[in-house]
Amino acid sequence: MVDARKVAVTAVTAGLCLPLALFAIILVPIPGLPAASGFWIPAGFYFVMTLWFGVWGALGGHIATFLAMGYFQGFTLQVWADGALGDLIAPLVALVAFKLMGARPELKNRKDRIAWLVGVPIASLVCGLWVHTVNLFFGVITWPFWWVGVLTYFIGDSLAVFIVGTPLLRSLTSYVKQSPMYIWRD
Amino acid sequence: MEKGKVRTFFTYVDERYMLVRAHPAVKIVSLVVLNVIPWIIEAPAPLAFFLASLLLAASLMKAPLSKLRNYLPYLLLVAQAVVLSYVLGSRIPGNVVFIEFPWGCYVTDKTLLYMASVVLRISSMLVGSTLVFLSLRDTDVVYGLKSLGVPFSAAFAFNLALRFSALFLDDYARVRDAMLLKGAKLDAGNPLERAKLLSRTAVPLMVIAVRRMQDLSFALELKGFPPSGRRTFLYQFQWSRFDAAAFALLAVATAGVVVAKIVSPLLSFPGWPFV
Repeated sequence: MVDARKVAVTAVTAGLCLPLALFAIILVPIPGLPAASGFWIPAGFYFVMTLWFGVWGALGGHIATFLAMGYFQGFTLQVWADGALGDLIAPLVALVAFKLMGARPELKNRKDRIAWLVGVPIASLVCGLWVHTVNLFFGVITWPFWWVGVLTYFIGDSLAVFIVGTPLLRSLTSYVKQSPMYIWRD
Repeated sequence: MEKGKVRTFFTYVDERYMLVRAHPAVKIVSLVVLNVIPWIIEAPAPLAFFLASLLLAASLMKAPLSKLRNYLPYLLLVAQAVVLSYVLGSRIPGNVVFIEFPWGCYVTDKTLLYMASVVLRISSMLVGSTLVFLSLRDTDVVYGLKSLGVPFSAAFAFNLALRFSALFLDDYARVRDAMLLKGAKLDAGNPLERAKLLSRTAVPLMVIAVRRMQDLSFALELKGFPPSGRRTFLYQFQWSRFDAAAFALLAVATAGVVVAKIVSPLLSFPGWPFV
């Protein structure tokens, strides 16, 4: 059931990530890969939003990526299927890693930090493989650029999530815990 | 605000721009169609014709074409990616081989033609989307999607996302100014270093986002969201003759392109006049 809180989480996450996605594409483009970025700044935000607020945060990242990438590459099925769907999957993989390991987004203890250090690269790799295989399937990139895409996605996404997301989780989780939208209860 | 200007999502445009006054559903359908048609066409000459027609139609509708110049760097950004990908990493057989690389890729006349197709396709989509976005007002997304049968909650969330992106751009400018006043050098270094500096704005932006999220959820709950039963709307949009004609033109153009693609090789690569 869609309620006001879920709509607020999705809309604010998407609104925050959309300009950041446009900045990322313009500031750090990757030669040979249209509408891609070597430092996907919004990933840091929607990973954190997903860890705090669940699936609805990931959905916000999905909308933002579709709008930003779609603007540069066309609002087509292909853009939805690769970047947007990929960016929905990635933070959810990290969320599942946290759930499976029984970790919390505060990154207070060793278990939390391991979940973060393991979950983010796995999520980025899964998403990178997904995005560039779909790109290849639609003929947007050529086969020699497939591994370039996967590698740059893996590095660019992980780097952005660690650089942007880590200080956010460490400094703001205790503040966000007061919100009724926070999904973890001790 | 300047007289004769209308506020749209990201800028002010001349109120004479006919798409601004169109029914919101026409704007949404235009956005879809202007992205789908170039996606279907594979041949460079028809794509160039489509782009030229689009610009001509925009000019006739008094679209702010001068604003498109601001978006030219974005087009170059995407074009360089496509050119590099196809020059350095493709194997498309053709009649003449211009250059062959040690890693097995080569550039032929067909490579250049295919590259031109992809660049023209992306240019058409970018120009088309920009022209539609320039005409979108705050209310258009909700009313447009709703009148096309999308559930109100989804349309509302989508509209809020666009609305908030404009607000967060202002927030970002405010945070950046505050950091600059404190001595931060946000424009120093290479692109990656600049991106990292940009990410320092993350914590204040996130605090603003979380507060805004809570305010929004309270406001929505107080307004009885999600609406139960039949809801009413503040504005009523009537279908004009222009809307009906635009809708019909978009439908006919899409159907025509699909049929032409199926029954003839003109729109498939390399297409007319290279068939």
